[in-house]
Amino acid sequence: MTLRTVMLALGGLVLVPLAGGLLAGLDRMLSARLQSRLGPPLFQPFYDVGKLWSKVIAPASQWQGLFVRWALVASLASAVLLAAGADLLLCFFVQAASASFVALGAFCGNSPYGKLGAQRELFQLLAYEPVLLVGILCLAKAAGGFDAAGIMAAHGPLLFRLPLVAPGLIFALLVKLRKSPFDLAASHHMHQELVRGVYTDYAGRDFALLELAHWTDVGVTLCICSLVWATGPLAMVATGLAFLLAVVLIDNVTARLTWRAMLGRAAPLALALAAANLVWLYLE
Amino acid sequence: MLDAYIGLLIFWPMAAGLACLGLRRPAARSALVMASAAILAAAALGLASQTPLTANPAFLSSSTALAVAQALGFLFPAYFLYTGLREKHALVIVFALCQLGLAAFGAFGLPAPAEAKAAVVVDGLSLALVLVVSLIGPLISIFALPYMAHHEQHLGPKISRQPQFFLVLLAFLGFMNGLALAGGLHVFAACYEGTTLCSFLLIGHDKTPEARQSALRALWLNSLGGVFLHTGILLIQKQFALADIQAIATPALWTGTSSQALGLLPLALLAVAACVKSAQLPFQSWLLGAMVAPTPVSALLHSSTMVNVGVFVCLRLAPVLAGTSTGRLLTLAGAFTFLAASALALGQSNAKKILAYSTLANLGLIIACAGIGTAAAIAVGTVLLVVHAATKGLLFLCVGDLEQAIGSRDLENLRAAVATSPLTALAAAAGSLAMVLPPLGMLAGKWAVLEAATASHASPLAATVVMLAVVMLAVGSALAVVCWVRFTGTLLSGVAVGQVTAPQTTPKPGQTSSLASGFTTSPSASPSASLSASLSANLAANLTTGPILTMLAGAVGLGLAAPWLNALLLPAGQGDPLAGGWWLLPGLFLVALPTWALGLRARARQSAVSPASPYLGGLPSVAPGSFVGALGRSWTLTEGNEYAPEFFGEARLTKLAGALAAALLLALAGGAL
Repeated sequence: MTLRTVMLALGGLVLVPLAGGLLAGLDRMLSARLQSRLGPPLFQPFYDVGKLWSKVIAPASQWQGLFVRWALVASLASAVLLAAGADLLLCFFVQAASASFVALGAFCGNSPYGKLGAQRELFQLLAYEPVLLVGILCLAKAAGGFDAAGIMAAHGPLLFRLPLVAPGLIFALLVKLRKSPFDLAASHHMHQELVRGVYTDYAGRDFALLELAHWTDVGVTLCICSLVWATGPLAMVATGLAFLLAVVLIDNVTARLTWRAMLGRAAPLALALAAANLVWLYLE
Repeated sequence: MLDAYIGLLIFWPMAAGLACLGLRRPAARSALVMASAAILAAAALGLASQTPLTANPAFLSSSTALAVAQALGFLFPAYFLYTGLREKHALVIVFALCQLGLAAFGAFGLPAPAEAKAAVVVDGLSLALVLVVSLIGPLISIFALPYMAHHEQHLGPKISRQPQFFLVLLAFLGFMNGLALAGGLHVFAACYEGTTLCSFLLIGHDKTPEARQSALRALWLNSLGGVFLHTGILLIQKQFALADIQAIATPALWTGTSSQALGLLPLALLAVAACVKSAQLPFQSWLLGAMVAPTPVSALLHSSTMVNVGVFVCLRLAPVLAGTSTGRLLTLAGAFTFLAASALALGQSNAKKILAYSTLANLGLIIACAGIGTAAAIAVGTVLLVVHAATKGLLFLCVGDLEQAIGSRDLENLRAAVATSPLTALAAAAGSLAMVLPPLGMLAGKWAVLEAATASHASPLAATVVMLAVVMLAVGSALAVVCWVRFTGTLLSGVAVGQVTAPQTTPKPGQTSSLASGFTTSPSASPSASLSASLSANLAANLTTGPILTMLAGAVGLGLAAPWLNALLLPAGQGDPLAGGWWLLPGLFLVALPTWALGLRARARQSAVSPASPYLGGLPSVAPGSFVGALGRSWTLTEGNEYAPEFFGEARLTKLAGALAAALLLALAGGAL
């Protein structure tokens, strides 16, 4: 392990959650502009988390603090793995563990809405995980290895060899970022039937930590997506922003689907496209 | 010393089982079973200290072993035939007759095969199986002591049938060890039939109509597997005049000119026989039916014995399969079972069925490893075998204990079990998370299989087959995560407004006391008797929690040790054993340990304060299970998991998946020609 790897890992540990927070602010600004509103300032998500941190609220269950912390550490670990250029598949699995802990924390709470949200969170996991996994396999095949560093060092953009993976990545992003039409587990736009879904029972500091974990997840997922055009740091940032823009646009022009539609139609379609691309890469 | 180890591993369990039959007192039985646990563990570790090795034990020469094995080759089918005639079961009769015919042909119609070089061969793979059988098997037997006492109390036969039960349970371990250590195909086949017999007797132990039916189903399916096995062995014997397993597992043998006539057909038949033993689709029904047996039987079948036979055979033959179309089809078949069984598990609310389908799925994963056949894939398959055995054994013990405590095996009735049986529920939660979460062994295995599969360089058509398998693995892995996280979440579930429904049957009044009365011969009439009752109550409780905690430690420990197990199993001289990402796992443990402590600290802090009232969209009402909601009315609250029957319904999915899997296995056998 070189000093450079350690620096990169530390950078990932700090910068990925920060970037996730900034992206959340950017997302809110963009959405507001699309809806002809002024919207909050860029740093609003940070103010929100600060406010949550200052609140001391009785927990909904004795297990929630435990699972929130585990989720946060798993998310941060996946960010570190990615930033240090380690095995992308392992990074993906560690991130999936974080999502599992979020669902478990909701299961342990007392609110039926939280548990309903946890069920849907798991179905969301079922929908996007295989797609993202096959997408990563495609990336690895196109770049010739599973190391994130190796994929970043690939010659030229990989997107032209992965055209069918791109819709799958957008699908995974929509689910992972809790965006319409797949905003099923957390019901981002409130006053819906699920209250706040998987987040219903979280409050105060636990919720603040959970927000941090979510920012990290957003950062890591966007980073994985931006590997399709990883010709340099700037290109990666631009690709990530392009993906975010696409997701925000879709969020604002679609209505929410049911989990059956996600699991029965959208996910198989995205998976079939990605799998076709994988086979194609091996036939080349 | 080596001879003693081998003798103890194979014959001690059988002798101890016979002693159980003679000494009918529960105390003597407990002592025997616990002594067997210690002896088997010592012998297995002794063997491990000298691996790898080949041996010709003085007490059993190769020719005697061959003669005994051939005699057993007639004896077991004859007993199956007798059973079939007694029960008037056509399929059992037909397959037993087939086996008898094959045995007669092998003994009289073919020249005797060349003697195996060594009667006993121990390498990493066979040692892994021996350790699983000899460490996990006895733990399950100990767990069975109080369990069966309680079970018989519940069932109430006039004469205790526990001696027979423990005879078969222990003999099973002996056959398994024999099978793992055998150097020749005939001894292997005899032990294979021995495990068929033991599983038949154990599944039918309760003598209920359902148990009888399930036992017969297990018998005819496994006899069918036996027919495949014997046909494969006879073809090998005819072609090469060989019965030495090590020689047969050499790729050079199969690429020579003398093998062109049949291609890999004999191996394909052995692989199909393995799929029957490992209950791969479409042969899964016998393992699902085995649920009717007492829980220790399920635990034994699913974790330490029966189903491991199949994956052991496949991993043993894997070097020959590497890079062949037979191997690729086997990978596809294994991956398909992984996918389909994971989907079936997700649609189940019966906790034992969830465990059963998950067993199929993970065995499918191991078989997929065997199909890939590279040294790395074989090592990963062996690691998965060991870690899965420990984890699944733990889960079965936990579910069995919860079932006896709560009176139901339905996941919905186990909801919030952590409040009533905290220790068992938490052990089950840890076990189910160990099935899917990094950095533990099962996930590490899945990850390594994916990377091993994508590393293959083959012709375009072959690559398409492998990629299809990889996509199936990806989907199956997500299904497994959802299934196990939901399982854990349901056990740890919070309760909004008190229990809605009472458990289906009355919980046993004070678990330990009822166990105790099953353990002592007389109920507590006198003060001294009540003293002894409370003493043995402690013993019974310890005999339940002891194995559970040991298995928990084993499952988590083995899960953490996976990278090093993998490094040990790789052939020497392959460079850095922790290469290719494996080194990341130890780093993840170092992160996971303080995180675990951090979580526990948060939990301690939060346990000290009273929790917030749940958000209900209403107010909790005084009546249990209801709340005051909209319109000021009292609403009943019921909770349940979404099992999504329209996607994962058992009836439809079983038919569809069974047909596809059967087609795959036909292609496997046909394509091998």
